Amino acid sequence: MVTLVVRRTIRAKAERLFAAWTVPAQLKRWWGPQGVKCIDAEVDLRLGGHYRIANQLPDEKIVWVTGEFEVIEAPRKLVYTWRIEPETESSERVTVQFEESGNDTEVIVTHERIASEELRKMHEQGWFGCLEGLAKFVEGE
Amino acid sequence: MLSSEKQDLSEGEGQLDLVFRALGDPTRRALLARLAERPAMVTELAQPFAISLPAVSRHIRVLERAGLVARTVDGRVHHCSLSATPLKDVEKWLHQYRRFWEGTLESLARYVEDDSEK
Repeated sequence: MVTLVVRRTIRAKAERLFAAWTVPAQLKRWWGPQGVKCIDAEVDLRLGGHYRIANQLPDEKIVWVTGEFEVIEAPRKLVYTWRIEPETESSERVTVQFEESGNDTEVIVTHERIASEELRKMHEQGWFGCLEGLAKFVEGE
Repeated sequence: MLSSEKQDLSEGEGQLDLVFRALGDPTRRALLARLAERPAMVTELAQPFAISLPAVSRHIRVLERAGLVARTVDGRVHHCSLSATPLKDVEKWLHQYRRFWEGTLESLARYVEDDSEK
């Protein structure tokens, strides 16, 4: 499976960040990369509870992301499934960790089972080990 | 990764499918690994494999169609070399996810850090 890890240290306490990530009124104020606005959010913060986040793209199209909570360990960790509506076949999974250190917190996002049936098949066939060997060649071009 | 970005890729997606399918075979992956070391003639490539030359040739054609191998024919000799462009396309496709999360965490940082200064 392709797993992506993205980290960022933010000058805030873990509790503050956990709230920003799970309270709908706050989510709507920051969620998404530049150009994407969160225009609606629903969060049922309990194990098995659903969330839905509406992402408005620059072309005004709206994409809903949805999933269920698998792990909730406030304020340090959240694990939830992730898929784009209308439902795709398989769910991806996102883990968010808030590792506090003084007045800073390192936010670590782990995004697993990244998309598509092709990638899943490739994993089953041991594709990703091969890619490492080819990486050197690709970097050289 | 959100659908407008997927739409931007739709033209390349047919090609991406060919790449995934080409890579979805252990013999073809081994052939690519060999070509990553240096270009080779089809006959050279066939040597380490316990399969026929026509079978290797078929694999090379699949890799060619995916744009992963470039073949030059010099008289009766077929030279093959690795073409990394499709692999870069795969990397680009995966890179969308990284950009999405980096952008999202940037927004989170601005939201909480600016907020605390008020």
